[in-house]
Amino acid sequence: MTDLADRRDAETEVYQPAEDSNLLAEAAIADLESHPADLALEVGTGSGYVAETVADETGARVLGSDLNPHACRQARERGVETVRADLLEPFRAGVFDAVLFNPPYLPTDPDDERDDWMEVALSGGEDGRKVIEPFLESVGRALAPDGVVYLLVSSLTGVDEVVELADDEGFSAVALRDESFPFETLTVLKLLR
Amino acid sequence: MKQSLMDIICCPLDKQELELDATETDDDEEVISGTLTCTECGETYPIEDGIPNLLPPDMRDVEA
Repeated sequence: MTDLADRRDAETEVYQPAEDSNLLAEAAIADLESHPADLALEVGTGSGYVAETVADETGARVLGSDLNPHACRQARERGVETVRADLLEPFRAGVFDAVLFNPPYLPTDPDDERDDWMEVALSGGEDGRKVIEPFLESVGRALAPDGVVYLLVSSLTGVDEVVELADDEGFSAVALRDESFPFETLTVLKLLR
Repeated sequence: MKQSLMDIICCPLDKQELELDATETDDDEEVISGTLTCTECGETYPIEDGIPNLLPPDMRDVEA
């Protein structure tokens, strides 16, 4: 009984790798073959799975940042260099060749929001873009001039709307990969300046 | 955190350089605990269990 309780507790703290994580990692790894990165950052690294996988497959140094202290610890245990951070705020200008982000994107009624770390990991506010917007506004500063962003977007969040927001920040977007699920289609966007 | 991270991170408030004060390092020269201090505004950020906490001070205590 305690085992299950423990597990349930753990699962309210750190988002574990799922289909979206795999899709983001695979798309980034395939694309980085023709666009090698020395230094990359996974924003909102969670368990650290995507950062670890991309580092293993590409040889890049891949850092992970997360707001959630439990996620930071899990990612570090996995061997990911981890920084507790709000998006890209504590990173220097122009340092990253690639930035990856599987953002919290589920549109959520404010009345239904729970007060735990899983909510932070999943909820994108009323339109699903509450975290994507400040990310897109700030990612350009930390990105090297020819750096790329790999951003996972769901049809629930509005791919066209996200592409438009990226365009406002001077990025052009290419869809690298799509995958359909019963309630949503996931797309990995590559953003370039 | 690895010492080489110092070339990548900055103060989240004013983006200026940080100064490292390591109180504990492991055999690989990784910093396990210590502080990072902004050379411009003087704000300090803790390093605990090898993880620098570079949240701005007003977000640091967020523990849902």
